[in-house]
Amino acid sequence: MGSVKFESVSKILGQSRAVNNLTLDIGAEELFFLLGPSGCGKTTTLRLVAGFYTPDEGRILFDGQDQSRVPPHKRNTGMVFQNYALWPHMDVRSNVAYGLKMRHVSEAEKEKRVRHALEIVHMQAYAERMPNQLSGGQQQRVALARALVIEPDVVLLDEPLSNLDAKLRVEMRTQIKDIHRKIGRTMIYVTHDQAEALSMADRIAVMRRGRLVQTGTPHELYTRPESAFVAEFIGGTNLLRGTLEEVGDLLTVKTQAGIVRAKNGVKRMARGEPVFCSVRPESLRLKPAAESSGIPPSDATNELLAEVQSIMYLGDNEQYSLRLADGAIVRAVEYNPTTRKAQVGDRLALQFDTQAVVVLPQEELSD
Amino acid sequence: MTSWLRRYDLNPANAAVLIFLWVFFIVFMLYPLGYVFTNAFFTAEGFSLVFMKLMFTSPNYTIILANSVNLGLAVTLFTTLLSLPLALLLVRYNFPGKEFLNGLILIPMVLPPFVGAIGMRQLLARFGSINLLLLEMGVISQPIDWLGGGSFWGVVILEALHLYPIMYLNLAAALANVDPSLEEAAKNMGANSFKLFSTVTFPLMLPGYFAGAVIVFIWAFTDLGAPLVFEYREVVAVQIFNMVTDLHQNPMGYAFVVAVIALTLFFFYLSKRILGGGRYEMLGRGHVASATRSASASMTVIAYGVVLGISALALIPHLGVLLTSVTKRWFLSVLPSDYTFQFYQDVFSHDLALLSIKNSLLLSSLSTIIDVVLGVTIAYLLARKRVPGRGVLDALAMLPLALPGLVLAFGYVAAFSATPLDARVNPVPLLVIAYAVRRLPYMVRAAYAGFQQTSVALEEAAINLGASPMKTLYQITMPLIFANLIAGAVLSFSFAMLEVSDSLILASKEQYYPITKAIYALLGRIADGPYIASAMGTLGLLLLAGSLFIAGRFFGRRMGELFRA
Repeated sequence: MGSVKFESVSKILGQSRAVNNLTLDIGAEELFFLLGPSGCGKTTTLRLVAGFYTPDEGRILFDGQDQSRVPPHKRNTGMVFQNYALWPHMDVRSNVAYGLKMRHVSEAEKEKRVRHALEIVHMQAYAERMPNQLSGGQQQRVALARALVIEPDVVLLDEPLSNLDAKLRVEMRTQIKDIHRKIGRTMIYVTHDQAEALSMADRIAVMRRGRLVQTGTPHELYTRPESAFVAEFIGGTNLLRGTLEEVGDLLTVKTQAGIVRAKNGVKRMARGEPVFCSVRPESLRLKPAAESSGIPPSDATNELLAEVQSIMYLGDNEQYSLRLADGAIVRAVEYNPTTRKAQVGDRLALQFDTQAVVVLPQEELSD
Repeated sequence: MTSWLRRYDLNPANAAVLIFLWVFFIVFMLYPLGYVFTNAFFTAEGFSLVFMKLMFTSPNYTIILANSVNLGLAVTLFTTLLSLPLALLLVRYNFPGKEFLNGLILIPMVLPPFVGAIGMRQLLARFGSINLLLLEMGVISQPIDWLGGGSFWGVVILEALHLYPIMYLNLAAALANVDPSLEEAAKNMGANSFKLFSTVTFPLMLPGYFAGAVIVFIWAFTDLGAPLVFEYREVVAVQIFNMVTDLHQNPMGYAFVVAVIALTLFFFYLSKRILGGGRYEMLGRGHVASATRSASASMTVIAYGVVLGISALALIPHLGVLLTSVTKRWFLSVLPSDYTFQFYQDVFSHDLALLSIKNSLLLSSLSTIIDVVLGVTIAYLLARKRVPGRGVLDALAMLPLALPGLVLAFGYVAAFSATPLDARVNPVPLLVIAYAVRRLPYMVRAAYAGFQQTSVALEEAAINLGASPMKTLYQITMPLIFANLIAGAVLSFSFAMLEVSDSLILASKEQYYPITKAIYALLGRIADGPYIASAMGTLGLLLLAGSLFIAGRFFGRRMGELFRA
């Protein structure tokens, strides 16, 4: 119970298509993420599920039932709003009990379920408080309890952690994931924070300019992005501009800085096509140029020459900014840096496995 | 067609409400104004500019126009002089009790000058308190004729003392919006305090100043109460008032009303041009640092001195009313020689006084109910729904701010004569509607502010949990904007109780007189008339003070926003 299906759904807001021809299957009991930069249509998508918007084209189905024209108060969804939207004129208990009151649940049952919901979010001691007497994190939990108590088919979370400070945000990730496991309900979670999505999601849908770009598990999206946008947005990457020279078991790309060979790539790319080679910063190994023979050590390895531009020490890692032969800048990360590997101005050989390179069609990245 | 409709939140209920609002505005605002225009430009022979020409050429009429313009300009000048130092002191300095002084400044605005005029007349008479006091102190040897020369200066002083808070609110807002870094840049370039103010600060404040000046000018230009009490009859407002009685013989009344409307529109257009021109749009707005600094001890004393001094001045007329109302004998002495509460008893036994209080309570209650219903509905549509013609609806709801009561009332009398609403047969319906329309903008603003402060997410959260839109309105939205509604309603009610120009023009028969018209009628009676009138005025002031106190409690510090342009 609790599957949500989008069938070619579009929503026009003002002049633009906020959601454009979206087809998406969200499985029952999944913790599903909608991820994308601001203005990509992810919140609009969530509000379409809640019923605050009706689709201009297409249908939305819950468990196979068309919900497109059902008004929001007749859909059984529980939403957690970005600013929590706790009613300031009601105490915590009344806020949480509100949805049950609307459902004419008996007093005894209501009492029991409110207590249980507050227990789940560890707020049972605060039932008598007014919302303005709670901290941000506490308000967040009450909002969550209020959405959960009605046992909704789908729980909707609209950037629920964005108003919390960094430390609490990380704590709440674990808690929400725990709650999801405990209650076993479909959750649709909107965020622009890729770290949040990677760390919590069963599956993620990446959106851009109203369109669905790619759907997959966190691991799939990180290791096998299907577009430069996804590669860049999830985790950050280096994109080397080049031309596809050979297609086969290995893809060979000619860049201004040298030849790059790759194990992975998007299908249906032709020879001569302009492409990006995506290489994650942590895949780059730094070797002194003097130790390099000028030829890659093995068939499974690429090697490019670079000069160190700047080094940023961050404690658990060290970030290098390097200039390639063609002037392009790439980033590399050394984890657990005990001794400094290079100085600014040093010439280095960058080695990286063909397995770590993904060849992607060129596209415009600025949003 | 359908895609055009889809851009709006239109369901049958919304559409019906919208149509009702349109009809209301057309019948009770646009039609009367249109009627006045038509009669000013069309005679039995067709289109004619004869009345317009007469107004601007006949010496009888040009002097009246000139008097009114002079009155407006003089009042604007005086309010500027009074409020500029107030704004500079209170915006730029922090000192203990600043909030209290801020509140004190606003009081005169809500005290009707019509009532104050009664007291002022008593104090400024040839052998009134002021002259006697000055004679006693040996400052002068002959009584000064304060109210001579057609009482022009009496009216100016009274209105300036009434209207300076409006100017102050606009100046203070303008000053607070001036980006301190722009001033710092000027100081950095070597500007001294005076240069800084004249070349940077004041020019940047100009749009706000102009907005305030327009309101003050129009208000003074169209005020009926004060000139009537001071018997300064050669002004446009009093002329229009007199012409209501013989509308059908003398169409000059229409011409004057058109002149007032044209002038009002022109000034508001001008102020919008200056405000909306973007010429003074600050770069990088939104992170304006506070430019207030703590006042030194001497600065604090100065601030208190200036505010208390000006407030005392502004309260003098009302003190006069209070004294008059408890006077048994007041002849050739600074203060009354014998006191009595007789006149307060008379208020409740005197036929006209008692009747008028009952009338006013009824009229004001009805108009307040209309205001609450219309105001909340309009504010809700504006704040929460996408409806066609949203901008026009907003403009119509705010139009009464720019529409002098005089013009509205005149339009009503003219447009609805010989209809079931004829004011000369029974003025009650039109009085109620006139009161309601006049105060509608305050109610809309109060409710709109409430909707704005109440995040839509709070309503969506309720709907999401299964509450129907109606339930959401009653259980979530209404409780959250309740304070605003109470404040708006209390203001609407108390202002309706002391509404002057529409009451004087519309209430034609004694049995329908509201308080203000009864006061005016009593003033004209010899013997105890003025004393009973003063007692009624004092009661009116108490009512107003009480209701403002209540409104203030609900609305808090933001109450001033209701009175800004």
